[in-house]
Amino acid sequence: MPDRIDTLRMAGALTAHALERQKLVARNVANADTPGYRSRDLAGFAETYRSHAAMAMRATRPGHLTGAAWDGAGWDGTAGRIVDPGGEPAPNGNTVSLEEEMFRSAAAKRQFDLSLTVTRSSLALLRTSLGRQN
Amino acid sequence: MTDPLSATELAISGMKSQAVRLRHISENIANADTPGYRRKLVAFHQQVEFGRATGAVTAGPTRLDRRELPRIHDPSHPLADDQGYYAGSNVDLIVEIADAKEAGRSYEANLRIFEQSRQMGSALLDLIRR
Repeated sequence: MPDRIDTLRMAGALTAHALERQKLVARNVANADTPGYRSRDLAGFAETYRSHAAMAMRATRPGHLTGAAWDGAGWDGTAGRIVDPGGEPAPNGNTVSLEEEMFRSAAAKRQFDLSLTVTRSSLALLRTSLGRQN
Repeated sequence: MTDPLSATELAISGMKSQAVRLRHISENIANADTPGYRRKLVAFHQQVEFGRATGAVTAGPTRLDRRELPRIHDPSHPLADDQGYYAGSNVDLIVEIADAKEAGRSYEANLRIFEQSRQMGSALLDLIRR
């Protein structure tokens, strides 16, 4: 049911995006000294989410065509596009920069906190409309 | 979550590998004056399961540095040959210390990521608790 509410759905997608990004950062940091490893990052949320919404076709009947993978309830994590942010390679071919990763991790955390706050206040709004004090 | 490995597990794999590296460095430093000792090296590579990289890192097998051992002149040494030379170890203390610093720095970065991932997980649980 909460999936029907646009705000909650978007906040959930943002949470998934932030978690996925954090995972990529963890992967990069773990491989900071692996020879030949190339750093990777997730495409920004705005870009991903908008392209998802725009791609989805409107279906008024079950028989109508929908953009196959895009008609799911929300952003499912796999839709995130992995990009190579580049960077100066070390002599062993590794492009991970720990400073850059710390920055990305902080950005992911901020995104995550934002999505949780939105979710929490939306839920509070729902509770209020149900007449409960929270 | 689509991948089986979560962010905390990835960070732990990084910490484990760096710890292995640090242990080898301390072995090298301890044996810096052992005659005939060859420096131990460890290379990292990505963990592969069923032909796919999981993203975690593992320390590869230990290799020995094949650089030539220095010949040290000391006729009074018990291992000295007829000319008074014996083979020392090819450990360079400065290189080892620089390596140890780098390993420590990477270890700390992994630790920080671990801490933050854990915080994110518990914040998510807090949402349900209320």
